[in-house]
Amino acid sequence: MKRFWCLFFMIWPVLALYVCWIAPSMGWWFPFTGPTGMKAASPLGERIDDLFYMILYITTATFVGTQIALGYVLFKGAAATDEGNTEKAWYSHGSHNLEVIWTIVPACVLLFIALYQMDVWAQYRVKDSFPSETKQGAIAEVTARQFEWRIRYPGLGPDGKPLPLMPEPQPTDLYTVNDLHAVVGKAVMIILETQDVQHSFFLPELRVKQDAVPGLDIPVWFKASKSGDYTLLCAELCGWGHYKMKARMVAETEDKYLEFLQNLTKSQNYDGVPETPAEGAPVASAAE
Amino acid sequence: MSTVDPAIVTTGGHGHADDHGHGHGHHGSFISTYVFSTDHKMIGKQFLITTLLMLMVGGALALGVRWQLAFRWEAMPIFGQLFPAQGGQIPPEFYTMLVTMHASVMIFLVIIPILAGAFGNFLIPLMIGADDMAFPILNMLSYWFMWPAIFCFGASFLSAGYGAAGGWTSYPLLSALPEAAPGSGTAQTWWLFGLTFVGFSSMMGSINYMTTIINMRAPGMTLFRMPLTIWAMFITAILQSFALPVLTAAGFMLVADRMLGTCFFIPSGIVVNDTDPTVGGGQPLLWQHLFWFYSHPAVYIMLLPAMGMVSDMLACMSRKPIFGYKPMVYSMAAIAGLGFIVWGHHMFTSGMNPALGMTFMVSTVMIALPSAVKVFNWIGTMWGGRLVFNTVMLNCIAFVSMFIVGGLSGIFMAAVPVDIYIHDTYFIVAHFHYVLFGATLFGCFAGIVFWFPKMYGRLMNEKLGKLHFFLTFIGFNGTFFPMHLLGVSGMPRRYADPYLHPYLEHLLPMNQFMTCCAILMGFSQFILLFNFFYSRQFGPKCGRNPWNANGLEWTAPSPPGHGNFESVPICHRGPYEYSDPKHSEDFWLQTDPPAKRGEGPATVAAH
Amino acid sequence: MRSKLVALVLCSGMLFVCGCGRTEPQFSYREGLSPRVQEYVRTTVDEKFGTPHKIRVWDKLPIQAHTALATVGEGSKDNSLVVDISGASRPIEPGTEVVWVGGTIMPRGSAPVTVEAFTKDKNLLSLVAAPPAAPKAGDKIVIGPGQTLTHGRLLYAEHCQHCHGVAGDGQGPTAPYLNVRPRDYRKGLFKFTSTKEGMKAHRSDLARVIEDGIPGTYMPSFKLLKPEESHAIIEYVLFLAMRGESEFQMNNLLASDYSDASVANRIKDGETQEKVIEEFVTRVKEGEIDEEVNQRNEKMIADWVSAQAEDAVIVPKEKRNASDEESIKRGRELYLSGNLNCVACHGESGLGDGVQTYSVTKNTDTGKDNVEPGLYDTWGNKLKPRNLRLGMYRGGRRPIDIYARIEAGIKGTPMPAFGAKLTEQQKWDIVNYVLELPHELRTPGTGVAPASPATKPAPVATTAH
Repeated sequence: MKRFWCLFFMIWPVLALYVCWIAPSMGWWFPFTGPTGMKAASPLGERIDDLFYMILYITTATFVGTQIALGYVLFKGAAATDEGNTEKAWYSHGSHNLEVIWTIVPACVLLFIALYQMDVWAQYRVKDSFPSETKQGAIAEVTARQFEWRIRYPGLGPDGKPLPLMPEPQPTDLYTVNDLHAVVGKAVMIILETQDVQHSFFLPELRVKQDAVPGLDIPVWFKASKSGDYTLLCAELCGWGHYKMKARMVAETEDKYLEFLQNLTKSQNYDGVPETPAEGAPVASAAE
Repeated sequence: MSTVDPAIVTTGGHGHADDHGHGHGHHGSFISTYVFSTDHKMIGKQFLITTLLMLMVGGALALGVRWQLAFRWEAMPIFGQLFPAQGGQIPPEFYTMLVTMHASVMIFLVIIPILAGAFGNFLIPLMIGADDMAFPILNMLSYWFMWPAIFCFGASFLSAGYGAAGGWTSYPLLSALPEAAPGSGTAQTWWLFGLTFVGFSSMMGSINYMTTIINMRAPGMTLFRMPLTIWAMFITAILQSFALPVLTAAGFMLVADRMLGTCFFIPSGIVVNDTDPTVGGGQPLLWQHLFWFYSHPAVYIMLLPAMGMVSDMLACMSRKPIFGYKPMVYSMAAIAGLGFIVWGHHMFTSGMNPALGMTFMVSTVMIALPSAVKVFNWIGTMWGGRLVFNTVMLNCIAFVSMFIVGGLSGIFMAAVPVDIYIHDTYFIVAHFHYVLFGATLFGCFAGIVFWFPKMYGRLMNEKLGKLHFFLTFIGFNGTFFPMHLLGVSGMPRRYADPYLHPYLEHLLPMNQFMTCCAILMGFSQFILLFNFFYSRQFGPKCGRNPWNANGLEWTAPSPPGHGNFESVPICHRGPYEYSDPKHSEDFWLQTDPPAKRGEGPATVAAH
Repeated sequence: MRSKLVALVLCSGMLFVCGCGRTEPQFSYREGLSPRVQEYVRTTVDEKFGTPHKIRVWDKLPIQAHTALATVGEGSKDNSLVVDISGASRPIEPGTEVVWVGGTIMPRGSAPVTVEAFTKDKNLLSLVAAPPAAPKAGDKIVIGPGQTLTHGRLLYAEHCQHCHGVAGDGQGPTAPYLNVRPRDYRKGLFKFTSTKEGMKAHRSDLARVIEDGIPGTYMPSFKLLKPEESHAIIEYVLFLAMRGESEFQMNNLLASDYSDASVANRIKDGETQEKVIEEFVTRVKEGEIDEEVNQRNEKMIADWVSAQAEDAVIVPKEKRNASDEESIKRGRELYLSGNLNCVACHGESGLGDGVQTYSVTKNTDTGKDNVEPGLYDTWGNKLKPRNLRLGMYRGGRRPIDIYARIEAGIKGTPMPAFGAKLTEQQKWDIVNYVLELPHELRTPGTGVAPASPATKPAPVATTAH
């Protein structure tokens, strides 16, 4: 029976490793339904994934090592009580050298892990290290509320380019709900706010997450590396409809993005009168 | 064959007769003996039974959560009866309540009181050779303050909105504005009061433990002859008494925000549920800082005593001295010390100063170090031992094995960039269940079996114990290991219906598998309960020292009478002198005088 | 002791088993009628509309309950039909049932015929097996009978039910905690519509609310539902509204004679309980009540049908005039004028604090004074007139949305329709004023771009002004 238990304790780590091994092929790994598949959809996300894998390799090695040691110890300890084996257990209070080794070595590894991560963190969060593209200002104000994302874009100026985003709502502003658009391949910044309780802005495919804290306007930047629809959801418990905050982030080319803003302008100014002139003849008239 | 066969009554010389009704006797009435008892053993048992019952409550709530994740919006058994018009389909706020109250019950009414309250109370005086706690009445109060807490949590369930539903972390404003969610009304207030009472209870306990351990050790019981359980309890008590006031203060501030109109946590201009905009200049992040300043150390409060107990049990069941006693003590102290400067890692994504994120990352990563040292030492302890594969040992090995996973997965979260992604996903849920269930609860299961003979003078059933362990272990890993993968897949926590989001749809079968495992695990706890209450009445009687262990508690009768020891025990050596070649037996009681080599411990205990 | 423990374990086991007893969702009913009459209402409504698990739709109801309706065309062979799809509400998937209307081709008890594949561009519907009799051109068929509604019910249960209730009565378990109560569909009334005064809602109005949510309330946006999903929900909501209104009408019809209160009064006046019931039973037998009920149902159906018609939607006769200072000024004058009296509710500054908010008002149903001062909607909920300075527009922020509010009012609320009182340009003036209000008091120098309309850049790509 004791050998059964030794085996029992050895089978589960093997099983665990096996499950982790097949996980990517079974779809139990990073989200894969986005435009980039299982790969992170932003350069920063890729770096985060790299760090994840680095830690994964280190911890897997540790896991395997300790479990093998545990298994060895168990089998040996089980054999020690076999019939006729009357020898006493090894009388040892420990080893100073071993203690020093297994303190210093993990300490170095851990410190390495910590220091190695700083760069990515700084780029993600420290405003001085934000990509220069974001210095032009935010593209939209994303306001989380129970239970949806309300987004305010600055309107288009007379030159057809988006106006700067003002802290206060402007008559020219454009609004959408649960539908954030951004230009692909360009670092864009949004201002994250909440109207009520705490929410969290989570783009799983881009590995971006930032809480929206009541009373704070938080800048968040991201850069989608491929155009397409990405998931946007809430990651901080915000009440009963927490799971309902389903939205999308659409990464698209600059032209498409402007077209989207133009369409938004059009539909937001829709006055219900059927248009008599032929469609598709946009008149950029300032003669109002 | 193993060296220790629990079925055989060992420690010759002690018949059953003298285990009961000696000297001091129980003179008190029923009330003073069994209800308002000041005897640390009775209080310990009261804590134990209360927490085991609460464990079942918390487990039932967890099964509700699991049911919804596997069979979303389908009629939920039992809980669904509350919603007959909906055909048993629960509303989402009920789900958030389940999540919140499962965590609250498990943390505040199970794990913290079972470790400090049940084992701390029962073991500290026995292991250090004292006749009771330093402040017996305070000790009694610490138990009876649990009941107002249980009452308040119960009232929270019965309030409008089915119970507090702001998560166990109760982040404002969800918890600060009564209109913010159905569970944020009176239910949240009751929850906060419950929390405060748990705080009182813990505070009284910690003061008592510290005083007792410092002042009431038996002659010869120097600090470094104390069993690691006592060290762990001591460090836990220190942690608790330093961290808890912060939480209590924060709790009062939140209550004031809710009831007195203060604005510690409420910024201005917030509109919730179409109310008028709030006035005030509060800061919700303040709560997070205060809460985690307690709750991160609390994670170690929920772990250290189990670590200590497992160290004792591992040494005994390996018939070997603990490997690296002093490093074990120092690493516990290091965990406690570092535990105070890592709280910020819960807030990496919350909008804290990013520079602080870096310092918190370094301290958090470094706290893995003492934990690693402990794991190596446990393996070292078993190395070359004569292992006894009984229920106690199996649970202890499970503790070590599960703690490795829980510890390693912690490194992922400590690294801020990775944490950006996995924060508030199921990876976190997997991590803390591996630590709190995989480690702490398996440690507690081991502890219950190990010290049960001392509590009731009887042994627990081995077969049932092993069956319980087997099913729990399988159910546990089946439930919680896949959560790592869910987390990597980006499944957020506290979602009543994650499959609403297309990128999570394919995870439904996995969740159904996990729910089946969880149900298996939940129901196998009935085996533990049955074994506990059955063995208490009908288990085989045992002598003073059924496990051939060294600690002082094993020289007292089973169960010890009032005052514990017949005479003041004198401690001659450390608690881990197993298999000393200089000694004829493979254990050497701490009370054996060194001169009388080769004699059995029985004669010594009776001096 | 042993036996006690075993009993304890058994008992707890039993408890769990009992806990697994399933219940079914149920439609709720308005109460208040005397029990026998209540029973009659219940059975009649159930008979007509079924239960959540067994929905009944009659052909007359303007609901697209099926996946598609089609007519068999020329050139159809046994199991390959050329069809003319007339009302498709969702994609036709393999395995969908096909039913012949009329029943000569499919005799009772024959195995159902299912779709194997549908080629959209050729309008070719191939079936798994040929129907018992050869199909003829001109046969009417139903593809996926009731499927849209069934799908809608499931989606409704998942997304909507916990607030709006199983029967759409706005009394789900979450509802009591929500300020601005979830809509009770059973009056057949929806607030924010694009239809003319007094008309019911158009499908597109429900669609817009589902897509964009209602800002300032707990109705969230369900933007990312698939089109067929949101369609299925709309049809199911329409079903609930019609079912609910039918019941509501019946209650209204019977309340004057048979509500608990009137029965009590009649007994006081010398009649006996038995006699009242007897009278009711005779009336039912004579068919008098059924006839009246049917008439009311007909009207309700006609109302819904007419609201879906093209001419039901409000179309401004003139284009919106430019939002310049003049127009805004005129809008403000109109807003303040005694003729329209907007200020009575919305207040002089547009803060939603007019005198009506603290005056005693009359209940629209009973005509009695409300207990608490303030404004109420038809459902009896207290209302706050919109604070127009927040820039939050529940029914949408497009000029047409606000135009429709002014033209036709907000249905079920004290917001009246001003359509007849104003000229087109005046309506647009008010729209311009309302849209300007949130920005009116912006002072320059606060880091905010000046919002005066003169410097406002023209919207790009709006066609032909």
